Amino acid sequence: MGLRKKRYEEGVAARTGVAPAGRPAVELRGVRRQFGRGQAAVHALRGIDLELARGGFTAVMGPSGSGKSTFLQCAAGLDRPTAGTVHLGGTEITGLSENKLTALRRTRLGFVFQAFNLLPSLTVEQNVVLPMRLAGHRPDRRRAAEVLSQVGLDGLARRRPDQLSGGQQQRVAIARALVTRPDVVFADEPTGALDTTTATEVLGLLRGAVDSLGATVVMVTHDPAAAAWADHVLFLADGAIADSLTGAPAARIADRMTALTASYRTGAAA
Amino acid sequence: MRTPNGLARAAVRFSPAAFTGTFVALVMAALIVSGCGILLETGLRASVPPQRYAGAPVLVAADQNVHRITGSGDDRDDEAIPLPDRARLDNSLVAKAASVPGARSAVADITFPVLGDRGALTGHGWGATAFTGERLGSGRAPRTGEIVVTRGVAAVGDRVTLTTANGPHRVIVSGVTVSSGATPTVWFTDSEAAAVSGHPGRIDTIAVLPADGVTPAELKKRVAHALGSRAQVHTGTGRGAVEDTSLGQARELLTALGGSFGGTATMVAVFTAAATVALSVGRRAREFALLRAIGATPRQIRRTIATEALLMAPLAGLLGCLPGIALAHWWFGQLRDRGAVPGAVQLSVSWIPLVSAVGAVLLTALVAGLAAARRAARIKPGRALAEAAVERIRPGWIRTPLGIAAVAGGFVCAGLASSLSGDEAAGASLGIVFLFMLATALLGPLLARAAAALFGLPLRGAGASASLAVANSRTNARRMASAITPIVLAMAFAATLVFMHTSEVRAADRQLRAATVADHIVSSGTGLPPDTVARAERLPDVTAAVALLKTAVLVPTPGNSPQQASAQGVTGSSTALARVQDLDVRKGTLSLRPGQVAIDIRLADAARVGIGDRLRLYLPDGTKAAPEVVATYGRGLGVSQVTLPASALAAHVTSPFATELWTRGGSAKALAPFGTVLDRGDRTAASSEERELSAWANAVMAAVLGGFAAIAAGNTLVMTVLDRRREFGMLRLVGGTRRQILRMVRWEALLVTLVGITLGTAIALATLVPMAQGITGEAPYVPPVLYGAFVAAALILGLTATALPARAALRGTLRR
Repeated sequence: MGLRKKRYEEGVAARTGVAPAGRPAVELRGVRRQFGRGQAAVHALRGIDLELARGGFTAVMGPSGSGKSTFLQCAAGLDRPTAGTVHLGGTEITGLSENKLTALRRTRLGFVFQAFNLLPSLTVEQNVVLPMRLAGHRPDRRRAAEVLSQVGLDGLARRRPDQLSGGQQQRVAIARALVTRPDVVFADEPTGALDTTTATEVLGLLRGAVDSLGATVVMVTHDPAAAAWADHVLFLADGAIADSLTGAPAARIADRMTALTASYRTGAAA
Repeated sequence: MRTPNGLARAAVRFSPAAFTGTFVALVMAALIVSGCGILLETGLRASVPPQRYAGAPVLVAADQNVHRITGSGDDRDDEAIPLPDRARLDNSLVAKAASVPGARSAVADITFPVLGDRGALTGHGWGATAFTGERLGSGRAPRTGEIVVTRGVAAVGDRVTLTTANGPHRVIVSGVTVSSGATPTVWFTDSEAAAVSGHPGRIDTIAVLPADGVTPAELKKRVAHALGSRAQVHTGTGRGAVEDTSLGQARELLTALGGSFGGTATMVAVFTAAATVALSVGRRAREFALLRAIGATPRQIRRTIATEALLMAPLAGLLGCLPGIALAHWWFGQLRDRGAVPGAVQLSVSWIPLVSAVGAVLLTALVAGLAAARRAARIKPGRALAEAAVERIRPGWIRTPLGIAAVAGGFVCAGLASSLSGDEAAGASLGIVFLFMLATALLGPLLARAAAALFGLPLRGAGASASLAVANSRTNARRMASAITPIVLAMAFAATLVFMHTSEVRAADRQLRAATVADHIVSSGTGLPPDTVARAERLPDVTAAVALLKTAVLVPTPGNSPQQASAQGVTGSSTALARVQDLDVRKGTLSLRPGQVAIDIRLADAARVGIGDRLRLYLPDGTKAAPEVVATYGRGLGVSQVTLPASALAAHVTSPFATELWTRGGSAKALAPFGTVLDRGDRTAASSEERELSAWANAVMAAVLGGFAAIAAGNTLVMTVLDRRREFGMLRLVGGTRRQILRMVRWEALLVTLVGITLGTAIALATLVPMAQGITGEAPYVPPVLYGAFVAAALILGLTATALPARAALRGTLRR
């Protein structure tokens, strides 16, 4: 109880922009990512320095090709940056071996992707407890039921992914992301393939996780309306952080995006 | 500590159809291993119950093999090579055997052919009836100049003229046996039998009869001790092998089929199963990437994949054993019907080959799964979640050099193997093809891309479907390579086995045709009497006549085991021989004096002898000889590899009668009394029984390997097409019609099949050319009709195996 209250307070502090006590949840220092070599090299990230506090909901936006997905993958330990360091919850992950990184992903991180989140051969419940089973523990069915009811899917534990709608599948993905009580949840365009109503439900779940469970969520999106649910919005352009907004409504975010895209285009044309 | 994560079981249970391809491959592997294993075991255990020697508890016989001993000490390896004819014992051993304590008596036994008025008879010494048990129905035992016959041959008191190895004998029938026996038989007195047998002083076997109270086993030990290494002593079922010398050859054949061919086929099966597993794992790359992202270690991924494969293995192994037993039954039955295996041998089906098959399948599944998993486990979780499922185009740093090494190795081995002949050549050729196949598998994606680029040039302008097909093949090189490999396999194996044989047969035919300058050839199944040549020469118009005794000798070749070479013993002068047979003498002059030999030029190369050297060889009964090489000739494959005077062979074969008479001049009518006069059409080498058996054996091996590879090819093609449901769906959404997509698939299939056929043919040629040079001295012969049939079969397979699943994949594509 005390722990939860502490996280809640930290979450409030993050929303109001006051720097919290303790280590930041996500920390990137001088992160660069380059694909290919020499002439044909693509610089997806050109030096990112970033600190994200605990218990906050951060959205990362940018025009296509700005490096959003690459940023997420580097921050989440799915990809190794060419240069720079990444710290998650105080632990440096850039130097970790593959096995240690994997163990980290199992227990302290959660992932939600745009599509193809679930293994088609497993039931909903089995998908949700998968991180625990991969860690070698017996699946905790009570915890699975608890987290499924948190996302509003009680009773669907025995269904298979191909029997669920897109929105339901995303909810299962969120449930799986939350089941291990992770430090950070990374979401890559989680509402990209959903209609507005379902998207609202999914975003509400993420918001709820931040507010009541004290989770930290980093979400990549191209939709200003989705970004409006977040506390902070970071704008990526051409591999670097170009701008940031805090507590802004969707309209202002959209305007900022348009301005950024325009200058990006004129910048490219020039 | 670790509880199983249930991923493998869930995956297999959820979509068993996805694993069907792997299952089929594993079943086929079990089929091959069990079928060949049964044949191998049968060969090792084969025995025939003794019939003639049933009444002789202890039997002494000579060793029917020649031994090649390599290495020394612990590495000492003793290879036994069966002799072409029966090895005999020295007569002096009879007394020695009889003097062993516990032996009641020792009886010598000889069997030899005799020619009578109405055909051939089998001759024995009357003393053998002590253990064979014939009883007289009328008359009495023979004395010198007398014989006993089986009922129906003649009556007591008849005077008969019998032709034996040393000429005609007039004898009186002194007795007739009770039964007519299996074949007409005559018994001489023991001493006279020895004289007319053709090999005086040498006997087939000694039957040692035990005194009362002595067991055969005990007697065997004592006799063996007394005779030492000069003879082998047999009891029980071992006596059957002595009686029927073809059993040795049959056992060789079965162990070669089961062991050496089975070994190659198993390697092919394992290889194909591994490729199939790799393919099925490759399809699920995104799933494994997701698992990696969520937190599965590479080791967990590897274990999951290995477990999936292992789950299917036991059932696949058991299922494959059933058709494997059926295959062994059919094949063995055929071999028995064709006389390659004595009729009394039974197929032995025990648990050993079946358990080995299941074990082999388990091992294959494990190895294949782990090998495929290596790549899957190394997937970077972030990268593989990208939308486009495009393969990496970088060539592997281990695969390419290994592939090139395999190609080089294949060529080197082909060159080395060009000095072999016959069965050894066939076995070596399979190994060479396998090396090339390995190279194809390792270099597969590179070859696929190169081929797609090459064939793609003309296709690019041929419409949307064709250019899409080319683009697909270029980018998905790995997928294309996995489809090409089984087709190459099928084509290479089938072509090599079949065309090696056709090349040999054609070369032999041509040689025989060219060598036959005689006007007439008379053949006699029973044998020609020793005075045939003299009688033929006295006929009007006959300017030259020779009689040929056809047998085989063993020629030691340095570095290899002694090889069996066809031999002809010539009755007649060398000038007469030159007038009826043109052997294409290359070096030296043909001469048939005692102690001289003329050999085929390729045999000379293999044995490393030249004109004037002594050729060490084993005569048909194992006697060593070292005649001087006086000539080498080019047409040995068609006629005979070794040419000797008949006197050198006569005492060393069971039947010393010549079987063919070749004459220059004369008329068919005048020659008819000697035997069957063959006209030109009948004189082809291919009509010999041995060649027919060889042809059939090669065809079966080609069918087994080719059929296996064809099924594997179909399997792979179906898997690769069924995979592409999403792709087809996207194409239809973009505006492609079903017909266009099917046409694209057809173009891809055509590309894959043509590349497979070309590569397979190239591999077959690379193997055939050096081997044909070594065996026949000519280029290989590929009958166009047969080759066309292979190509057509491959094309039909490729097109059907892609068209049908493509139609199925297209059925539901617009519904999502």
